[in-house]
Amino acid sequence: MKKIRFNRSQLCIPYAVFLVLFVIAPLFVIVYYAFTNGEGNFTFANFVGFFSSTNTLGTLLYSFLLSIVTTLVCLIIAYPTAYILARSNFKKKYVLLLLFILPMWINFTLRITALKEILSVIEGNLAAYPFFNSVIGMTFDFLPFMILPLYTSLLKLDNSLLEAAADLGGNKFTVFLRITLPLSIPGIVSGVTMVLLPSMTNYVVLDMLYNSTYIMGSLIGSYFSAYDWNNGSMISLVLLIIIFLVTLVTNRFSDKDTNSRGAVL
Amino acid sequence: MIKFKRFSAIAAACCLLGGSVIAFGGCGGVKERVTLRVCNWEEYIDLGDWGEEERIDVANPFTQEESIFGENAMIADFEQWFAENYGYNVKVEYSTFGTNEDLYNRLSLGDVYDLVCPSDYMMMKLLAEDAVEKYSENFFNGENNYYSQYVSPYIDGVFSQYEWDEYAACYMWGTTGLVYNPEKINTEDISTVKVLLNENYKRQVTIKDNVRDSYFAALGIVNGNELIKPDLTAETRSLLLNDISESTIANAEDVLKQIKENVYSFETDSGKADMVTGKVIANYQWSGDAVHIMDEADGDETELWYSVPQECSNLWFDGWIMLKKGINGNEQKREAAEAFVNFLSRPDNAVRNMYYIGYSSSIAGDENCSTVFDFLEYNYGDYEEAEQTFEYDVSYFFGENSVITVDADCLDVEDSGEINRGRQLFAQYPPANVTARSVVMLDFGDKLGQINQMWINVRCLDLKDVSPLAYILGAVAVVLVVSACLLCKFRYKLFIKNKTGKGYERVEK
Repeated sequence: MKKIRFNRSQLCIPYAVFLVLFVIAPLFVIVYYAFTNGEGNFTFANFVGFFSSTNTLGTLLYSFLLSIVTTLVCLIIAYPTAYILARSNFKKKYVLLLLFILPMWINFTLRITALKEILSVIEGNLAAYPFFNSVIGMTFDFLPFMILPLYTSLLKLDNSLLEAAADLGGNKFTVFLRITLPLSIPGIVSGVTMVLLPSMTNYVVLDMLYNSTYIMGSLIGSYFSAYDWNNGSMISLVLLIIIFLVTLVTNRFSDKDTNSRGAVL
Repeated sequence: MIKFKRFSAIAAACCLLGGSVIAFGGCGGVKERVTLRVCNWEEYIDLGDWGEEERIDVANPFTQEESIFGENAMIADFEQWFAENYGYNVKVEYSTFGTNEDLYNRLSLGDVYDLVCPSDYMMMKLLAEDAVEKYSENFFNGENNYYSQYVSPYIDGVFSQYEWDEYAACYMWGTTGLVYNPEKINTEDISTVKVLLNENYKRQVTIKDNVRDSYFAALGIVNGNELIKPDLTAETRSLLLNDISESTIANAEDVLKQIKENVYSFETDSGKADMVTGKVIANYQWSGDAVHIMDEADGDETELWYSVPQECSNLWFDGWIMLKKGINGNEQKREAAEAFVNFLSRPDNAVRNMYYIGYSSSIAGDENCSTVFDFLEYNYGDYEEAEQTFEYDVSYFFGENSVITVDADCLDVEDSGEINRGRQLFAQYPPANVTARSVVMLDFGDKLGQINQMWINVRCLDLKDVSPLAYILGAVAVVLVVSACLLCKFRYKLFIKNKTGKGYERVEK
């Protein structure tokens, strides 16, 4: 019997097929729709409409605000947590880490439903604080995505660097500021990208927590449900461009990191 | 992570591709077996598996049983019934949709169904696009046809009036109104749709996240003063509540913006549960879901009521239509599709569906078959312990002299004899005074885009509405962040440029 052998490039075929069918081809569909009108003629009107309407720009602003605040809250909570988890000699720290990752194993609508009940016990009327609740919901949802990369990058931190800094007269604060923080920047960057971008579009959280204001994701959905593929695709493309820009900026950080001491995550 | 993100942005486009590929399946020409592709609303048919305590003690003349009981799913029962009566097999491919727009999108993306169940305005849209297959002549004349035999004269009248009758068979129907908790909200406030703007109930009332129902409610407020005039004709009422002129759309936008600030939220699917748990005290809902909510709340010992607002009530109908693309001239498919509608219209099956989903069937029965009416009496006719009884008249639906004696406590009868609020029976079969002032919502036609844009404007944060103070604060924050970044980046150049560190000279790259 003939042995079946694959060379390296053949092993890539499943992924390549997937990539072409579900990533690249739809991308072309989006670009096509974004630059055409209902009759199929080429137009820039969709984009002009987007950047000249105070409503759509307002939505962009609101989404940015929501995702930036979410990211900051996540960072503030996640950094100390990841630091303690990574740096302490605590025996049970893997159990602790597991506790933070555990929520990711549970379906997120289920988690948000539970959160909804908890919040309504605390706040009484949930609808009174839509923005605040959305931030809590998003944080609840995305926190593990922030902790994990931070944890990995802090785990790799070379102890000798810290000792050297301390020997050279740095107090704890200086050591943190000069050594720990700069070396954990790749972790911060990948954590931020993993939280910032999804939280701009995850409108299910808003729906479930009674925030009736649209973010970018809900805007796309509302255009699509009104059979307006052109404007929906246009907004998807705008989002793609924003994501591309953010990645471009963040890549500069991770590139430096890859050269100097190996990739994190 | 980029891929992950990119994915969510283009998921819809993927569906577009996937959908058109799948659409080529099915459609075999095998004689013995025909595949019927049905697309219906979610949770809109009996799935069987009832508990023994759910058995309905109403004689079933169609199966010669003493009671009506949903043992198997309706679809399975249909397949069996079809094989017995038509001599060949049918396989039902059953799928569901969440909104009319969802269904329309799927159809326009290339999904093919033989039989679908959209609401009135979507039927009109599909009819206008010439996508709907006529029912065969003998469907409406046939002796053994349950639909033509047992459909309510009222439903028949409406369907003839709008000229749907050759193309559609009504499945369920109802009104829109407000489910409410009478202990928390007073009768006067709940009898008008203005309760959505009532400051006393700020953040305590919900409304559906749905352009059409929200726009309809907004029209009830915009045109409210004219709608409560006593001598209003049905035509004027219909015009006022189907008003899609530019100025009205603009006014509705303002009203909806105020509503957004005042209501609990535009709920997508949480309204039912929130009503039962008491998070909200009123919910603008479809009558069938209202019945469902009241049933649930009864289990929790909370008594909820249903009110149809004075100004506006939407009368809606969901009907079975066959699609030309699906049937495609295949006579067996047409026969199977008509048989499916026919089977669902058999009064015992209508009762099963009504019990299971809470909505009201279009089927009324006739002088020889009173199964549906018996079911109503079985459900609501329990008045022996009542202090006072009321003769509830549903003649308009069930034919002459159809009166149910019910506990007077489940209805709010006004001095004029009108009933505008009540419990399950009222929601399921509104009295004639309510149906008389209810209006069928027509298709928006070429104003659809404009009204959708209006809805988007309502839901989006408008930069014009942001206060100047917020702009200033935002600008200050941005400046602070940027300067902090710059400071970090150029701190050596700015502060320690000419100083040397402890014994070292700084080497610039």
